[in-house]
Amino acid sequence: MERDTELALVERLRRGDPDAFDEVYAAFHTVLLTFLVRLSRRRDVAEDLLEETWLRLVKHAQRLRADTRLGPWLFTVAHNLHVSYNRCRLLEDSAAASLIALWPFNPQRSSPFESAAASELERRIERALADMPAVSREVLLLVGVAGVDHSDAADICGITPEALRQRLHRARETLSKVLERDAAVEAAALKGITSCPSG
Amino acid sequence: MSERLSQLLAELPAAAPDPVRSERIRMRCRAHLVRQASRASGARLTAPRDRTVQAWQPLVAVLGIAYLAEAIVQALQVYGVH
Repeated sequence: MERDTELALVERLRRGDPDAFDEVYAAFHTVLLTFLVRLSRRRDVAEDLLEETWLRLVKHAQRLRADTRLGPWLFTVAHNLHVSYNRCRLLEDSAAASLIALWPFNPQRSSPFESAAASELERRIERALADMPAVSREVLLLVGVAGVDHSDAADICGITPEALRQRLHRARETLSKVLERDAAVEAAALKGITSCPSG
Repeated sequence: MSERLSQLLAELPAAAPDPVRSERIRMRCRAHLVRQASRASGARLTAPRDRTVQAWQPLVAVLGIAYLAEAIVQALQVYGVH
């Protein structure tokens, strides 16, 4: 989004123009949903968090600063809501731990993206992303997938640019290693099949 | 590997929003924004009266203090202290 267009949209949002909201919504809805689905690994949670993100935008519309950058603002709110959600879930999980054995519990291991991924490579990346710690996953999703620049991503995550750079480097390394290891395992399995004596 | 990885990440498919829910959220937010804007314009219309009320407050306070001071002086005179 061009900066001039963005500034004009912010001004219109501050005045309460619903058409300006539509434009912002069209520009960011899918990219935010994609970010939240991969971050939370649950579509229902992602949709709830996204709805809350948009509501926060309209509630704060009049108080937005004239120079607000909508992308980073929305990603920050979505990220913070996810962090809050995780904190609540941890508390609930610890409270419910004693009841879990009594409940027919069948955790879904694969992410929604993983099951829908078209290619084997995509599936492997989705699986590796889903298995990563949240702090690594979020930087990869912001910088690698959503294309947010480094300084904005650092602001969104509430860390320094240097910390983001290190976290991103480690996350990329982890992802590369997982993908290489998967490829090696597959190659070994394939070799085992092809070298298996027939008859 | 890093460039290839970046490319792979950038090319991952986007999530497809549920159209019904997306439309519901959009309409809800639009309605909220319109309500907020109309409330704000209503508040602007009533602002002059608010300013008048604010201007009276210091005057009432000054009169109150003057009355209280005079009451104290009178009381002291009655008891012959002043």
